[in-house]
Amino acid sequence: MELELKGIRKKDKEAIRFLNKERKKIISDSSSQPIETDFVGNALSNSFHPFLQQVKVADIIVENYNTKTFVLVPNKEAGTKRLAYFRPGQYISIEVPIGKGIYKRPYTISCSPKMALDNTYTITIKRRINGVVSNYFLDCVQIGETFLISAPNGEFYYEKLRDAKNVIALAGGSGITPFLSMAEAIRDGILDIKLTIFYGAKKEKDLVFRNRLDELAKKSNLIEVIYILSDEQINSTKTGFITKEIIDPYLQNETSFFVCGPLGFYESMNQVLKEYHLPNKYIRHDAFFGKIDLEENEIYHLKVITQNREFMISCSSRETLLCAMEKNGVVAPSKCHVGECGFCKSKLKSGKVKTFDENIRAADKENRYIHPCATFPESDVVIELPR
Amino acid sequence: MNTKYDVIVIGAGNGGLVAALELVKSGKKVLVLESANSPGGFATSFIRGRFEFEASLQNLCEFGTKENPGKLYKLFEKLGILDKLEFAPVQSTFHVYSLKEQVDYKLPFGVDAFIHKMNEYVPGCLNSMNKFFLLAEESYNALLYLEENKGYVDQNYFKKNFVNFLKVSIHTVDKVMASLKMPKKAQEIITSFWVHIGSPGSRLSFVHFASLFYSYISKGIQIPYNRSYQISLLLADEIEKLGGEIKYLSTVKEILFKENTIVGVLLNNGKIYEAKHIISNVSPTNVYGKLIPKPMVPKDAVKLTNSRVLGARGFAIYLGLNQSAKDLGLEEYSYTILENLDSNKEYQNRSLMKNCGSVVTVLNNAISTCSCKGTTIVQFTGLFMGDVFSKNVNEKNYFDLKDRVAENMINAFEKATGIIIKPYIEEIEIASPLTFARYSAHPDGVIFGYKATGMDNLLPRMLSQDDENYILNLRFCGGFEVNLAGFHSTYLSGDLSAKQTLKDMKGEEI
Repeated sequence: MELELKGIRKKDKEAIRFLNKERKKIISDSSSQPIETDFVGNALSNSFHPFLQQVKVADIIVENYNTKTFVLVPNKEAGTKRLAYFRPGQYISIEVPIGKGIYKRPYTISCSPKMALDNTYTITIKRRINGVVSNYFLDCVQIGETFLISAPNGEFYYEKLRDAKNVIALAGGSGITPFLSMAEAIRDGILDIKLTIFYGAKKEKDLVFRNRLDELAKKSNLIEVIYILSDEQINSTKTGFITKEIIDPYLQNETSFFVCGPLGFYESMNQVLKEYHLPNKYIRHDAFFGKIDLEENEIYHLKVITQNREFMISCSSRETLLCAMEKNGVVAPSKCHVGECGFCKSKLKSGKVKTFDENIRAADKENRYIHPCATFPESDVVIELPR
Repeated sequence: MNTKYDVIVIGAGNGGLVAALELVKSGKKVLVLESANSPGGFATSFIRGRFEFEASLQNLCEFGTKENPGKLYKLFEKLGILDKLEFAPVQSTFHVYSLKEQVDYKLPFGVDAFIHKMNEYVPGCLNSMNKFFLLAEESYNALLYLEENKGYVDQNYFKKNFVNFLKVSIHTVDKVMASLKMPKKAQEIITSFWVHIGSPGSRLSFVHFASLFYSYISKGIQIPYNRSYQISLLLADEIEKLGGEIKYLSTVKEILFKENTIVGVLLNNGKIYEAKHIISNVSPTNVYGKLIPKPMVPKDAVKLTNSRVLGARGFAIYLGLNQSAKDLGLEEYSYTILENLDSNKEYQNRSLMKNCGSVVTVLNNAISTCSCKGTTIVQFTGLFMGDVFSKNVNEKNYFDLKDRVAENMINAFEKATGIIIKPYIEEIEIASPLTFARYSAHPDGVIFGYKATGMDNLLPRMLSQDDENYILNLRFCGGFEVNLAGFHSTYLSGDLSAKQTLKDMKGEEI
């Protein structure tokens, strides 16, 4: 049925024949200048999320008996001109070759994002017993040493559309780093929140950044820091543990809790926060390794298939597949080291494993993908890295 | 290791994956190279807290049902993956809100029901609505015929079967809607569907628009249970099972030539893979502008690329809410929020930083189990026309700017629908054009390919496809191609490019 269409000419039905010619004409009339490929959006995108950043250690600050801060600046000779901006609370992953191993570790950027605009990051590293990388940093790294780091990563930051403006930070030990960054960001006018930091440590000598935190608190009524020492009684700090009674006076109608520290700290803080019966949205955790029951120390074979070759290494039932690969110098992609970011996602070809799979996507789970950084072997295992 | 392949596919997006699967099924030795560590491109998902968010899919159109199969259904059937996927049909409606006019229109799926309801909203539009759907169905069928005949128009056949299509084939949505004597209000309501294509009524080809709208209303939409990523992973898995190779974290730096002929690709990491045929899921802008050495790019390819306009940039907000959809009062799967019902005014708005319109989807209303009990996944998709967003960003203001735009969009949704969601945000992720640029490397974070306008509308693209094959043995697929962007279009573009490559190969044998 031919429709009557007002204003459409009869001859329009022939027009389709000329579309091709008309298009050709437009093409032929168009510019033959080189195609524009330098788009602002892509350049900015690369500046916020560079694939890698080359840095060198510009300074080393001794914070206390077991902690040092490393000041990182661009390694311009190696091609990095600017460091990427970040949100306070984010981390970078740093690649560290030690012996025959190649390790990557996530460290929170401990300074204000304003420092990034001046081409500087700081990371603050505490010595861990048997920690290969932390011991290397504390004992061996010198000013001038160069490293490869990732772009800033992670979701442990204040998000105004989600979080309350009154933020209570619960920091356990070295978990203070993101909150120093946040406090400095408040000082620099980058972050518009009220921040109260409860900083728990064993003894006074374990506290880091104390002078800087006190200074920040003195100068801004938006920042407050309360120190709680479990193993020592001194003036100007509280003694014991972070409890509901200590927190209560700082609560407002709406308060968001940000928690960062070792596993034991999370567990005890969860007990405290339970008493508030808060919806999930008001409690943010930095990415961390959940509790996992591991079997006795068994040594298994781990076969790793990469793009070019295969490796056969051993892996203990008490270490992650990624740790085993790092120790043996098998280069595998990784960033967060706690199973969250998915960058190390690999295919489990065979074997039995114990794994945190909360952050693995449903379709990936069905297809036997795992995050090697959060997976322990329970038999001989074969995995295939992304390739 | 053997590094010689019959075909190299650059990019494992929807188009690249379908193309690769078809080629391995035809017995070709295929290598897919992908920059990311997972397949799918935009067809992916991500986890925040206890939510797994869909990254991009709003409506999987052209699927239909076994009884009323769409093009995509047939393609997946042909690829042998149909029974490995699970979809939820969306019993949705087309629900449009206009902030300026403070009205909303809620129209059901199904052509008859749609027309009936529209006549209630705009009395007196019945005749023009009937005509519109007649024309829309004819456009759908004519375009299908054209697709099957690779853009060849047999004038006599068309005059006999698709005469109305022929008459309107060169006209815009606005022009044809007016010719139907459709009341303005009804025109505006239907045309508001433009936000899914990114080009307004005064520029967008009627036959393209009408055929999509017809498919949307008559065939409905489907949502995959485990996000669109499930489809991506399945396609990748099938490719590998049949002997194809996919290399992730592999970015192509250059397409290699020897005496004017494609011989392979060079990767950023220095590796070289050899093949005589390439299918690019990467945009022509990037291929002609970056991946091919300048002297090797034909002048016409440069001119064509320069004649085109980049389409809409994406802006998405992903919300995990800590209340159920029911408790929040979210009844629909999809809400279209506009400042102006008029598509041309709305289009103008969307080139401004303060634009606040969006398409909002509530995943739980398609798949009730997509998040924990008592929670809801809501996704906003907004558009920026032109590079206004990028131009306004600097190092310092980026995160604030993202928040500001997102807040505008959420506020607009709350104001239009009266449904309050902000206090219930447990997880939020915001993707700006920069984020889309990062994940796709598309120019300036474009999500809809080249703009459908003037002679770069669907029909001129279809009718010229054979003339624009500028480099021997290089074919393209994806959202920048003939069928334009969108999930079903890009899957189908993979099918088309595989056929073209197979034809190129046959040419060699003879």
